[in-house]
Amino acid sequence: MRNIRLSYDSQPKFGAVDDGDGPADIKSTIIQLMTLFPRKLFNDAVPQIVLKHQLYCTHDKTMVDKEVNKLRESGSLLMFQLGFDAEAFGLVFAADYQAKVLAGEEGKATQATVEKFLEKVVSKCTDLSFSKDKMLKEFLFTDSEITLLVKSGVLTVRDAGSWWLSIPNAGKFIKYFIQGRKAVLGMVKKSKYGEVLKDDLEQRKTTSQVKFPLKYHIQDIVGAELVESVPTTSGKLLRYVES
Amino acid sequence: MLGFLTARQAGLDDPLRLRRAESTRRVLNLKLNPDRDVDRIHGNGINSIDIETIEGRYMLSGGADGVIVIYDLDNYSRKPQYTCKAVCTVGRSSRHVHKFSVETVLWYPYDTGMFVSSSFDKTMKVWDTETLKPAEVFEFESNVYSHHLSPIAKKHSLIAVGTKNPKIQLCDLKSGSKIHVLQGHKAEVLSVRWSPRYEHILATASADSKVKVWDVRRASGSLFTLDQHNGDKSKSASEAVNTAHNGRVNGLSFTADGLFFLTTGTDDRMRLWNSATGENTLVNYGKVCNESRKGLQFSVSQGCSPEFVFVPCGSSVAVYVLHTGELVTMLRGHYNNVDCCKFHPDHQELYSGGKDGNILAWVPVLRTSDVEEESDQKNKGAADSSGVNRAFQDAWSSDED
Repeated sequence: MRNIRLSYDSQPKFGAVDDGDGPADIKSTIIQLMTLFPRKLFNDAVPQIVLKHQLYCTHDKTMVDKEVNKLRESGSLLMFQLGFDAEAFGLVFAADYQAKVLAGEEGKATQATVEKFLEKVVSKCTDLSFSKDKMLKEFLFTDSEITLLVKSGVLTVRDAGSWWLSIPNAGKFIKYFIQGRKAVLGMVKKSKYGEVLKDDLEQRKTTSQVKFPLKYHIQDIVGAELVESVPTTSGKLLRYVES
Repeated sequence: MLGFLTARQAGLDDPLRLRRAESTRRVLNLKLNPDRDVDRIHGNGINSIDIETIEGRYMLSGGADGVIVIYDLDNYSRKPQYTCKAVCTVGRSSRHVHKFSVETVLWYPYDTGMFVSSSFDKTMKVWDTETLKPAEVFEFESNVYSHHLSPIAKKHSLIAVGTKNPKIQLCDLKSGSKIHVLQGHKAEVLSVRWSPRYEHILATASADSKVKVWDVRRASGSLFTLDQHNGDKSKSASEAVNTAHNGRVNGLSFTADGLFFLTTGTDDRMRLWNSATGENTLVNYGKVCNESRKGLQFSVSQGCSPEFVFVPCGSSVAVYVLHTGELVTMLRGHYNNVDCCKFHPDHQELYSGGKDGNILAWVPVLRTSDVEEESDQKNKGAADSSGVNRAFQDAWSSDED
């Protein structure tokens, strides 16, 4: 059967420059993005986090969603609802998460409960949140154990009787992340005509507000569609999107 | 193209393949054509457009000023430059015109002798096209947002009406009654659509973020409510369980085969659902800008492979591939927000109307002619001075008589 070769470019791109696409594999892109995560900033207490929409820059969205779900089903990747945006999901490798959490729990009173939680719940179930019913009946945790888990940071309150799965000490990460995102967006917005070349932006000096590498933030704002990425003859142009 | 033609001739390919390939090529080449225009009758925004399915010749449009216009889309003028003329209008001077803005207009599915319009003046009128007088007027207690007639119904002639009231009313054309009511939504119903596959299945979208699918023969309520997380209760905040969108759902459209349908919501997302199971297919279209407080009319292509969906997005129309979610192009041309668009399946053209009062026709770009043909035409140009396409000139009549 012959395949119909269709070109979706109705407007010919005259010499538009495209920086060589990253690895075609989604897992390698996640690993690549994780190298951008500044571990020293948090004194190694937080595992490397990548946001799901950062992957939308380089890969087809539906494919990313499918691949991420596959990796979650296989147990190698964990997804968290970060809380500042209903659509922002953080991805962490399961091995990383387990290592960091256990390291953080060394010597604390909550250690045994957390270990039990990691073993029983995190490795078996791919849910993002847990209700009281589920915790008590399916996983056989007592109320006091649940309180210990919330204290240690593995669970955060969602509403009366249910909890989100979370990363301990992630509060600092979210605070710096939102700060940095605002600052980078401001940089794009204040530029002439509200647009700036991606290469130019990467070269700029950042204020003290921006704690993460600029590339990390740029992937975030492009993936979340807060800026529009337009291919031009001098590379990609980021244009601020009024919302 | 020649390859496809030869293969079809030799019987190597199914005839449908050539048709699909050519339709798809035409849809990918949609552009504004300076030769094709639509008469500008509306003074205000255009809320709804419908093209009749019998001949594909007449187009209805309903505007914010209450005016309804019928256009003739076919070109019999023998010239490439053509303006789609308005055949008749229900203007402000007519005694029966709607008092406020017309929200939805729809042709009767079986012939162009009748059309139905619903408006913010709380009425729905069934018009006779010949006399332009309403044959029937249905009155409601609140603004009517949307109505739809089943395109395939043989056993019933119900019109589903979505109003500010959370109850969906079914009006019967044969008897004039509107006692059949579907209860289940908690806020105004912004869009209703019958399935093009089963004549008793109806989908409704509401401002309470829920989309329900009903079988009208069933007395006890909806068949199912769509859930954007497919039952995975852990993903969303607990108030958002069992919702199709995280905001008002204002657009609803089935695909031509009725196997899938699309919903758009004010959370800037568009979702594709399996119409048999109600499962979210999780195709990610990205951010589909949507600020409309009323219904949004969008359209799915027919007869192409892959299928495309045309969604009004701000002041342009976005074209996405249906099953992969890839953005093909943005059709820019309107001066203000686009409210409605309709795909003409036979000619692969798109008509879109918006707040600027214009209806734009997006026409597939013809192939550029080859070099040899051009030099031939230059030679014959001197002899052929009338400017009329040679195909329309007849060769057998004598000019001297």
